[in-house]
Amino acid sequence: MVKEECKALLDALNKVTACYRHMVLTIGGTSDSQNLREELKKTRQKAQELAVANRNKLTTVLKDKTVSKEDKAEFERLWVIFSTCLEILEIDMRRALELGHEFPLNVPKKHLIQTGMSGGTSGVAARAMSVQNMKYEAEHNIDVVDLKDLENEINQVGEMMYEMEMKVNVPQWTVEAKQDPGAELKSTISVGASSIGMISVEENKSFCDISKVLAGIIFTAVLIIAIVLAVCVVKLS
Amino acid sequence: MQMTAGRRVLIGCGARRWRRPRRVSVRAARCAGPGPLRSHRTAPPPHRHRHRHRTATMTVTRLDQGQRYRPRMAFLKKIEALMMEMQSPDTGIKTQTQTVTTTSIPHAVTGNDIMQWILQRLQVTAEEALHLGDLFVKYGYIYPLQEPKNLTLKADGSLYRFQTPYFWPVQSWAADDTDYAIYLAKKNIKRKGILEEYEKEHYNMLNQKINYKWDFVIMQAKEQYKAGKERKKEDRYALDCQERAYWLVNRTPPGMLDVLEYGLDRVTDPNENKLFVSCVCGVLPASQTPLEDNTTFLPCELPSSHCKNTMEFYRREIMYYQQAILKTRVKSSVSLGGVVKYSEQFLSNDPILSGCLPSNPWISDDPEFWDLNAKLVEVPTRMRVERWAFNFSELIRDPKGRQNFQIFLKKEFSGENLGFWEACEDLKYGDQSKVKEKAEEIYKLFLAPGARRWINIDGKTMGITVKGLEHPHRYVLDAAQTHIYMLMKKDSYGRYLKSPIYKEMLAKAVVPQEGVKKSTGLFGRRHLRSSPSPIILRQQEEEAKAREAANTVDITQVMSKLDRRNQLQKEAPPK
Repeated sequence: MVKEECKALLDALNKVTACYRHMVLTIGGTSDSQNLREELKKTRQKAQELAVANRNKLTTVLKDKTVSKEDKAEFERLWVIFSTCLEILEIDMRRALELGHEFPLNVPKKHLIQTGMSGGTSGVAARAMSVQNMKYEAEHNIDVVDLKDLENEINQVGEMMYEMEMKVNVPQWTVEAKQDPGAELKSTISVGASSIGMISVEENKSFCDISKVLAGIIFTAVLIIAIVLAVCVVKLS
Repeated sequence: MQMTAGRRVLIGCGARRWRRPRRVSVRAARCAGPGPLRSHRTAPPPHRHRHRHRTATMTVTRLDQGQRYRPRMAFLKKIEALMMEMQSPDTGIKTQTQTVTTTSIPHAVTGNDIMQWILQRLQVTAEEALHLGDLFVKYGYIYPLQEPKNLTLKADGSLYRFQTPYFWPVQSWAADDTDYAIYLAKKNIKRKGILEEYEKEHYNMLNQKINYKWDFVIMQAKEQYKAGKERKKEDRYALDCQERAYWLVNRTPPGMLDVLEYGLDRVTDPNENKLFVSCVCGVLPASQTPLEDNTTFLPCELPSSHCKNTMEFYRREIMYYQQAILKTRVKSSVSLGGVVKYSEQFLSNDPILSGCLPSNPWISDDPEFWDLNAKLVEVPTRMRVERWAFNFSELIRDPKGRQNFQIFLKKEFSGENLGFWEACEDLKYGDQSKVKEKAEEIYKLFLAPGARRWINIDGKTMGITVKGLEHPHRYVLDAAQTHIYMLMKKDSYGRYLKSPIYKEMLAKAVVPQEGVKKSTGLFGRRHLRSSPSPIILRQQEEEAKAREAANTVDITQVMSKLDRRNQLQKEAPPK
């Protein structure tokens, strides 16, 4: 179904954006390296492909007049998620550009900031690219060479977002979120951890119910006894 | 809390700031959303989004005024340079490892080391070095490890670490609401719902404010959490510390100082070139007041294709710059000298700096000071009378002084000057609906040839004034008033100060004694009495003025009476 496909694409883009953010965070720190720059390049290219795919799919659906009202609302919601994701991606790309300019890797005078990070980001990159292991093939001065490409890609993303706004008429603020505040707690992300939280909440609830029921029973019992006694007194006197 | 940056960007020009061309912010009609789902949300959230009307579609351009680029944040670049120097293995700061439960995380620095490094590198005093290091911590370049919420530098063994460059306070990107929401959601997941109070409030507020992005926020928070798991445990810990430090600086908890506060958002871009010209295409209204010096015009906000840079535009630009050159400027040494002289002269009169007699009413609850210094009190205080001798404006400003001066002027037969001056003041600051009537009255009484209280001004000024009176407004009598003022100041004032009237007033003036604290009643009840209502006071003043005006006999009247008597006498005998 179209909806599921759209959702899957959007999830993929979301994942790649999150991984890209993680990687941009480490630029300029001690775990910065040529590998990181290469990972950044690959990740953002993948992100761009996904973005284009998402856009095409969603625009075709939104332009389609035969879609029902509920479906249209749903697609508009997905559209808003998509455009927000793209904004975040663009900002991260721009920051990557600025940080890349500030922290070139092969200049001996410029030292990286000792941020306390020692490990690499290959795991994150592998997750983004959906591969098992990352392969590094680029030259040793990719940090400088890549910046030009990054500029062009930022321009491209900017153009894409502009076109998107021009073509599709979805006012963002009219979309209502499906998830309530605190929805992230109810998911089963960390295995066991949050579910423990959930269980304890449920237990609490059941305890409360039992205590309420008990209280009700006791109260009615006392009431009945009181009525019986009163009747006895009236009868006997 | 600005929304994310605009679309267009000038990359590669070397500019640190991303200049955005000014976007049009003309409010177009609101889009009526289709469907019943949207009915309660057709209005966009205020002052965050503006519409730009284009042929058939609506777009939302985020109006980023760049308010964060205040000039006073230019020091951030300097701190960054120092930060980079601190990292050098030879000349930088020595790092240690921090042990946290079972793991150890490198690159921790002691506060003392930081301070010593600054001392040595910048050659400043210890106090300055400590203060500077403290600023580094406050702005988020270094964060403390043992007391995360206490953003101060302690010059001892407490540990700090450098913040990753992504989280440095940079002017180009303000800390975004969406990012903060994602961070709070992530924290929620990690801590299983345990957030601080203020964080919970922010969470709920953001949920309402950016509700349309909320699904994305949750999705992204989950994904970032999962992606974080791909890293080493130590790195995850360090990342947590970094993020927390970043948000402590950018969304300060209540009670902490917000160092990145830059004041209110203004409507204008502080970095835009300050040449404002009236919009010649007439779409935006030009300035309302007549073209005076230093009028600021309105900027033409429409794109340049609409408003051509015509001759008019350049003519006005030239005029603006010519006037700017001709502005009189005073040397700061001169103006500062004036300030010093004024302060010295008025020091003894200032009730806060030199105390006041009998006592300061705000402290002792005794309003005698105000009673003694009432507007038209019978016997003024000595300080007040002495003040009249400082300069003419002090005398004129004080109603009692004016009264006294008027008595003197009457003796000299130039009482109409002060009368005219007061009438002009009334015209300027009084009821504007009566401007026409007042102006006519003043003309009849003071300016017309043969008027009852005719004032003596030169022909040119009289000409200007009479011409102006055809279209009277508030300031029509300014020229004449200035002339009379200068006349009084240069001529009568000197004589007044030597006159017996002033000297008598000075002798009569009372010096109040140091106040004795009044004893309060049994339960501390004070005798409260209310001063007369301002309305009644004003009525009394008006009546006094009217009586004054009726009784005034000026020289011209006297002269005219004498003339008439002479004429009658001349006519009588022949009869």
